Amino acid sequence: MTTDAPLTIETRFGSLTAAAGDVVTFVAPMPGFPGCRQFVLASAPGLAPFTSLNGLDEPRPSFLAIDPHLVQPGYQVALDDNARRQLDVVEGEPLLWLALVRVREDAALVNLRAPIVINPRRMSGLQLVPHDSAYSTDHLLPLD
Amino acid sequence: MLVITRKKDEAIVIGDSIQIRILRVGADGVRIGVSAPAHVPVHREEVYELVVAANQSSAASEAPTLARLAERLRRQAEPVAPAVAPELQP
Repeated sequence: MTTDAPLTIETRFGSLTAAAGDVVTFVAPMPGFPGCRQFVLASAPGLAPFTSLNGLDEPRPSFLAIDPHLVQPGYQVALDDNARRQLDVVEGEPLLWLALVRVREDAALVNLRAPIVINPRRMSGLQLVPHDSAYSTDHLLPLD
Repeated sequence: MLVITRKKDEAIVIGDSIQIRILRVGADGVRIGVSAPAHVPVHREEVYELVVAANQSSAASEAPTLARLAERLRRQAEPVAPAVAPELQP
């Protein structure tokens, strides 16, 4: 990973900062965005604990995301052998988990059903789509 | 669409690396075994479509109340240890 100067990225969530090395390469495209492999993680103090995932490939989608463990205590989704291999995960190594968020007027909806897993050591990412899950794509996060 | 009739234990092969075999045919459904390389994701259509819809709607979501929501979550998190560190794999 490079340690270049931080980049400023303009998004619909405001002006965000990313480290130049913070580019995640997805080992498989996210469902619905077949051409997008490269994403940059960006954040801002006012945005925390949310972060933003910004596609570098067309149509350059940007997403708001949050650690699902902050939303749902005890959150756990299994990483199968296939995903482990694709992300090159070594046993016990720290991974970054992100759930995509949709913000509405009265609440936010968090997709706990299909989380994104990033291996920070390799900067490789994958959206998990478990066959069965107790979690919802529309987990409600109340505004107040 | 290519339509093929298969019986139990018969399979179809797609390309040189994907095999789809009929394992059981019953009144309540057909059980199918899929062998595919690791880089080819295999999903139930309805689950896949659900995630496509959620992803597309996330990418289109404006965030009018985002600042308020973020502030509330930060306030909630204050009394406990900061929880922004990546989770350890179980």
